[in-house]
Amino acid sequence: MMFGRLTTDPRRRALLLGALVAVVTLLIGYGAGLLTPSLTAPGDNSAEAGFARDMSTHHAQAVEMGMVAYQKATNDEVRQLGYNIALTQQAQIGMMSIWLKDWHLEPTGSRPKMAWMPNGSAELTPDGLMPGMATDAQLAELHSATGKDVDILFCQLMLRHHLGGIHMIDGVLQESHNDMVRQLAQTMKLNQQGDVDVLQDLLTQLGAKPLGS
Amino acid sequence: MSISTPQAGGNRRSSAKPAAGAKPTAGAKPTAGGKPAAGAKPAAGGKTAGKAAGGRTTPPTLAKGTRPGGAGGGNKGGRPPFTPVKVSQGRNWGPIALFTVVGLVAASIIGFGVYEVYKNGLSWQQKADAISGIVDYRKTEPDLLKPAQHAYGKISYPQSPPVGGKHNPNWQRCQGDVYPDQIPNENAVHALEHGAVWITYNPSLPKDQVDKLAAKVKGNDYMLMSQYPGLDKPISLQAWGYQLKVDNANDSRIDEFIKDLRENASQEPGTPCSSGNYTTKTGPDPVNLGQSAAPSTAPSAAAPTPSASS
Repeated sequence: MMFGRLTTDPRRRALLLGALVAVVTLLIGYGAGLLTPSLTAPGDNSAEAGFARDMSTHHAQAVEMGMVAYQKATNDEVRQLGYNIALTQQAQIGMMSIWLKDWHLEPTGSRPKMAWMPNGSAELTPDGLMPGMATDAQLAELHSATGKDVDILFCQLMLRHHLGGIHMIDGVLQESHNDMVRQLAQTMKLNQQGDVDVLQDLLTQLGAKPLGS
Repeated sequence: MSISTPQAGGNRRSSAKPAAGAKPTAGAKPTAGGKPAAGAKPAAGGKTAGKAAGGRTTPPTLAKGTRPGGAGGGNKGGRPPFTPVKVSQGRNWGPIALFTVVGLVAASIIGFGVYEVYKNGLSWQQKADAISGIVDYRKTEPDLLKPAQHAYGKISYPQSPPVGGKHNPNWQRCQGDVYPDQIPNENAVHALEHGAVWITYNPSLPKDQVDKLAAKVKGNDYMLMSQYPGLDKPISLQAWGYQLKVDNANDSRIDEFIKDLRENASQEPGTPCSSGNYTTKTGPDPVNLGQSAAPSTAPSAAAPTPSASS
């Protein structure tokens, strides 16, 4: 009866129609707002997600090497560089893990390591490691080294590690248009390039040479 | 507005003519308000009725379709009440169709959104629990799985291989480490606490399957793998509080287990897998730091026996 009366009176009908249109429009807007972040966020197989996951693993090894250098190197500059690399990269691991959480993605992807890079798994070393990463044997050597050997080995391994990392950063800069990802990637690249110069100088000071390739 | 007051509503309901008379008395200004109200209402009513009836192009209804006539002639057969109902229904088909379409579109958009949010909102715990054959000890053994309980010496665990509980302060290195032999439970459980997935296999597992498992571990942070003598199944996967035993390295649930639980199962998010113990020379005996390996059955922080080297 009430509804009937409302719909027979043109003014009430217009009012009702207006109210319904407003409600439906608001609901659509709300739904779109809810949906937009999950539709525009990088997906499970995106370069951004692949980079976040793989670079976290890559960084984790640098953290370990940096901590060994901080603990055992003889040269104060090497010790401080190890300290700096370990803390910076550990913090960046945290940032990248929050990206994945924000994108509602798991820390583990569905595709192999490096599949997000243009060259894909061809980028992996014969050991199946990401570019620049030290082998288990090299890490064990670093752990067991003493004295100036620690300084030299750390600089050699870290130099190659950074060069591999920069290669991966270039990969994500080529593939991604996500501002947040690009911003961190670009600063990572600048910092690691700076470290590369320092590491080369340190190796010269220590009377040693970079590792081959 | 006056339309929405009960009084106005009541007046209108009775009929158009008395309403015209009642309106001025209800209003504050009888002279000014009376005339336009009295004049406007019947005029408006007559106009819409005429327009609607005309729009339908049914001349007979035009004659009987006026409101006062319709209301007064309620007794006379079916026709007079029938006609207005028909007119008002016909009038509403357009908006009803419009609302239905708009409503369905809106509902499907919103429904899709809700579904997406729901799917994205499935927690890793829910995904893990959906793996067939997984055992979720977090539901049944909350006391065992209290994190950060450190102890030296041998610890006995209710599960084999263990999925959590008290553990050695020194974690087993779990940065993609593939151990060729057995590793100490007490150190491995600490790696689980850090968020690692620990793949164990019976030493009788064929080499091609061992290699397949190793490929899932090598170079991947928060992963470790070792032999497990006496394992009751060819392969067993552990994360803190979770276990899945499978017969074959090609089982697709292995990747699901890793995807859902690696790092997610961490009891200390952000804690590294690097460093820690990575030797296997002690076999099943825990490797302590700062003290020697103390194979004792009493897990106590004050039970170091300074003899064997670590």
